[in-house]
Amino acid sequence: MAWPNLLRLVYRNIRVNTDAGSLIILVGLPAMYLVFFGFGFQSVASGADPGLGGGYLRFLGPGIMSFQAVMAGTVGGSMLWADRRWGMLAQLLVGPFTRLQYLLGIMVTSLLFGLVGALVMLGASAVLLGGALPGVLAVLAMLGVISLGSLFFGSLMLLISALVKSNNAYNSIQILVLFLVNFASTVFYPLSPQLPGVLKVLFLVNPLTYIANNVRGVYLSSLNGTDLLELGVLAAETVVLLYLASRAYLRSSLSLD
Amino acid sequence: MVIELADVHHSYDGRREALQGVSFTVRHGEVFGLLGRNGAGKSTLIKVMTTLLRPTRGTLRILGWDPLRDGPRIRSRIGVVQQGESWDFTTVEGNLDVYGVLWGLSRPERQRRQEALLTKFGLQEIRRKRLFDLSGGQKRRVQVAREFMHDMDILFLDEPTVGLDILMRRSLLDSIREEVRRGLTVVFTTHNLEEADYLCDRVAVIESGRILVLDTVENLKRQYRGKKTLEVSVTGPEAEKFYADLPGALAPGESWKLQGNTVVILTEDPRDALSRILQLSARHRVQFDWLNIRQNTLEDVFLQSVRSEEPTHGLA
Repeated sequence: MAWPNLLRLVYRNIRVNTDAGSLIILVGLPAMYLVFFGFGFQSVASGADPGLGGGYLRFLGPGIMSFQAVMAGTVGGSMLWADRRWGMLAQLLVGPFTRLQYLLGIMVTSLLFGLVGALVMLGASAVLLGGALPGVLAVLAMLGVISLGSLFFGSLMLLISALVKSNNAYNSIQILVLFLVNFASTVFYPLSPQLPGVLKVLFLVNPLTYIANNVRGVYLSSLNGTDLLELGVLAAETVVLLYLASRAYLRSSLSLD
Repeated sequence: MVIELADVHHSYDGRREALQGVSFTVRHGEVFGLLGRNGAGKSTLIKVMTTLLRPTRGTLRILGWDPLRDGPRIRSRIGVVQQGESWDFTTVEGNLDVYGVLWGLSRPERQRRQEALLTKFGLQEIRRKRLFDLSGGQKRRVQVAREFMHDMDILFLDEPTVGLDILMRRSLLDSIREEVRRGLTVVFTTHNLEEADYLCDRVAVIESGRILVLDTVENLKRQYRGKKTLEVSVTGPEAEKFYADLPGALAPGESWKLQGNTVVILTEDPRDALSRILQLSARHRVQFDWLNIRQNTLEDVFLQSVRSEEPTHGLA
């Protein structure tokens, strides 16, 4: 029996995007953050902020899991970008697929990359921390948050790749977004009162902060009302961005000719 | 009829029309050629027929279905080799296999077709190479080969032989002929009129989004068979005057166009036309750079029909 169209597209997306280089970026980069930042800042960070009771690695682990939502987003955006650039989008759309199926194929693929990456980071954190893994419900809750985050960043990157016309522009914007989103969030360090005002605002409006706070809240069993409110804001932002990305994608040209 | 177009228009920006009332039909098992210059509207027409673009006006039916309503159904029965490159980060055999998956083929069927196509299109030696590392011609071969991974009723080929060497070009055209004998309908765009002559049952010449000429290759050649082409190029102080007076020296029914510095005249009586031109040249004391009389080809049919649309300049 033939697979449904969506599954065929997801299979294709995974197969053409799982070369060694892509996997190193997808899993290796967050793993390196975990190892280098984790061990490098362990003593400094824990001394500077007594709030990091369990040590910096315990703080960083769930942060890096959250970071996978951003990586998932870049996978989605890059897939659309590459397919537009190398003519595969138009080729797929003269096949038995609709534009909507193609979009869903990309979203599902990036979600899968995000979830698998998060699970790998969860395992790596457990190995580095030497502690027990969180319970099944906690893991499911974390994956749920990361899924929502993957949808948000997937939509953001799709929006960019649908609007941008040149390779240089796409790469530059992606690097800028990655840098801002990652380092102006609570992935690597907590929102400290000593931060300059502008940085504080950036931290507070950054959806990755909401994802990291919620994943960390579940991981460390310290979830509070503010985290849940942030999750609600993230959900609302995701709906809006998904709408904008879909609109831009449906109106975008099929190739960059 | 497997393709029916009636008064099809398309505009990209709502102002300038890339297609201006195109109408034709294509029969089952026919090879239909679309000839035209760059920007004439060939690729737009292919995109409209393959449901990538919506017509802004007019009606079309592909395999009896309306593309606006039955796009997925149509696309599941057609194959398309687009003009531009389309590839991803796989190997040659990987690309064929992924294409088979996309078209819902079982694993054994994918392997069977993959092997057959790798051999048929001369890709065995490069089967494990990544598409990124291939030459333009090799990529094009993969692009055409993979389209045969799935069954189809109509194959749209938008300049499929660009970048192919002579042997591979002929081999591709023969492969298409073989498929046509098995009942495939082919819509084929090309710049190469020898290819059109070799492959097509009927051809349409398209210019500025309009069909100028549409007939069987044989009929078109017959139509122009009685005529010959006379090419004249002169130099000298009075060359400008010679060119200016030339239209007056032509007989009724003779047509002419300027092609670079050469005047191309289509005439039924080249001897008489030549004698009039010689008289004119003597009067203006110009020297002949180039003087040639030859039989018409499909290329002349194309050039004559396209140039009849151009505004004449310089000589009129």
